[in-house]
Amino acid sequence: MGLGQELFEWLSPILKEFGEAYPGFLPGEFFPSYFLYEYFHRPLIASIIVAIVAGFLGTFLLIRNLALIGDGLAHVSFGAIAIGLIFGGIGPLLYALVFCTVAAVLIDELQARGILEGDAAIAIFMTGMLGLGLVIMRIWGGTASGIVDGYLYGDLLLVDPKSFDIIVTICVIGYLSMLFLYHSLLSISIDPIAAKVQGLPVRAIRLYFSIITAAIVVSMVQIVGVLLVTALIVAPAATAQLIGKSFRSCVILSQIIGVITVIIGLYFSAEYDTGSGSMIALVSASIFALILIIKTMKNIIVKPN
Amino acid sequence: MDTVQSVSIGNCGEEILNVSNLSVFRSGSKVIDEINLSIACGEFVGIVGPNGGGKSTLILTILGILKPKSGTVRIYNQLPLSKGVTGKVGWVPQTASKLPTNVHITVKEFITLGTLNAKSFFLPLKKERLKVKKIIEIVGLEEYTNTRITHLSGGQRQRAAIGKALASNADLILMDEPMVGVDRESRNSIMKLLDGLCHEQNKTIVMISHDLTSIKQTVHRMIYLEEKIRFDGSTIDFPGLSKLAKLRGIEPTHQETDFWETKDSENKDTIILVPGKDGEE
Repeated sequence: MGLGQELFEWLSPILKEFGEAYPGFLPGEFFPSYFLYEYFHRPLIASIIVAIVAGFLGTFLLIRNLALIGDGLAHVSFGAIAIGLIFGGIGPLLYALVFCTVAAVLIDELQARGILEGDAAIAIFMTGMLGLGLVIMRIWGGTASGIVDGYLYGDLLLVDPKSFDIIVTICVIGYLSMLFLYHSLLSISIDPIAAKVQGLPVRAIRLYFSIITAAIVVSMVQIVGVLLVTALIVAPAATAQLIGKSFRSCVILSQIIGVITVIIGLYFSAEYDTGSGSMIALVSASIFALILIIKTMKNIIVKPN
Repeated sequence: MDTVQSVSIGNCGEEILNVSNLSVFRSGSKVIDEINLSIACGEFVGIVGPNGGGKSTLILTILGILKPKSGTVRIYNQLPLSKGVTGKVGWVPQTASKLPTNVHITVKEFITLGTLNAKSFFLPLKKERLKVKKIIEIVGLEEYTNTRITHLSGGQRQRAAIGKALASNADLILMDEPMVGVDRESRNSIMKLLDGLCHEQNKTIVMISHDLTSIKQTVHRMIYLEEKIRFDGSTIDFPGLSKLAKLRGIEPTHQETDFWETKDSENKDTIILVPGKDGEE
């Protein structure tokens, strides 16, 4: 089997042992099930991996002023998922991957050629594909409508072995790519002209980054949902920017905050039986607000005037 | 009336940049008209001229970002952006005003970005770290190594931007209005830094400026660009204002002369060139 299965076989026993050995360490009535039952291990591992990768991605998207691209691409993926659910075939996630990649490349192209400024291209794609998805569901939806809700707001139970494999593969490739292109991405974001003069393949890097972004967004859709993807991409990165002293520290903090967000989010969603996506989004915004308040208070105390 | 003459004060003398019969159009109108220019290694050249006179256009064409309508640009006898040229050319943008404020990047990280090139644009090598450290010393930002760029003053940011260009091992450094947003004291020390780069490290520097006085004190060669090259010669020969007006094809009136003179005597630091024609860069 694929990368996901390998990871699952390696981590699942560890999680189970952890859950059994330290029952007091895991609070709540339902939350420990994530560790105790193998059934929940895939969603748990996927959520944590996705949080790490999304945090990394978010720092780059923020410096490129593309905070909302995640949202746009997630909406595109909704249209594709609807097609996938109705017409079957390769499975909704792979449909989403194809559509999102094409959309990301086209959005970048429209912006690079100056045909559409700013987020206009994102807006057109996101509403167009969301509309397509809704129309398809309305006409042919039938029994699939229930599943669609899961994709809209996030539903951990959608993470079956097949999509787990896809999620893990995307995340590993995405993470390694960003690590590899770390300085180049930073360089072309800060000053594309200088990057070009230095001889960097600016066009190719931009294109590749668009594709990675699309893929990572797709990997997140089942866990946080189409409507809430941006929460896990932007909020941890923005929170990290409040406390990080360098770009490097922002990158690392963003990933850590992402993981903390997901774990707290999963805890509350398990205890209060809410959707995983909505709770994660709520937690990520709350953490941002909390850090902002602490930082402001600290500034007031340190600098009284 | 063009006064095109080549002055070579460079230490190494070899021609590094050649521009011949270059015309550039931007959004349909001619910005640069048939100019010829030759710059030798080690020269420190200032390009002055009114807004819309083609200064930035010229620099962007030399960099290879804008394509010429006719004529050629050659750096070390090669096309801009070609393999042999990338990495030999450094670019210092109007940093103080243009650097994105949402990037939380330290001076060290910023200068490290300059070490990337066509061959190694992945993870920077370890040996680059020493180089970056040395460059931070050269530009005088040791104290600020781990300070965020956005927390620096205009002058310090400019130093960081110069450091980034130096990190690429560039022989030819092109600068667009490096003194915008920089206070007078830092301006002098930056000029000193650039002068040192020219004399001690044989770097060739071409900079655009609005600010005649401060570049007049440092550059070796001045070029007055207003669609065509109206003056190209050593700084000492740079024409006075009334002669400059003649070069530009404007007959100086008494009032105009008075205006310039009073402005000059009142404020010795800055003589700002008034736009000769409408247009934005």
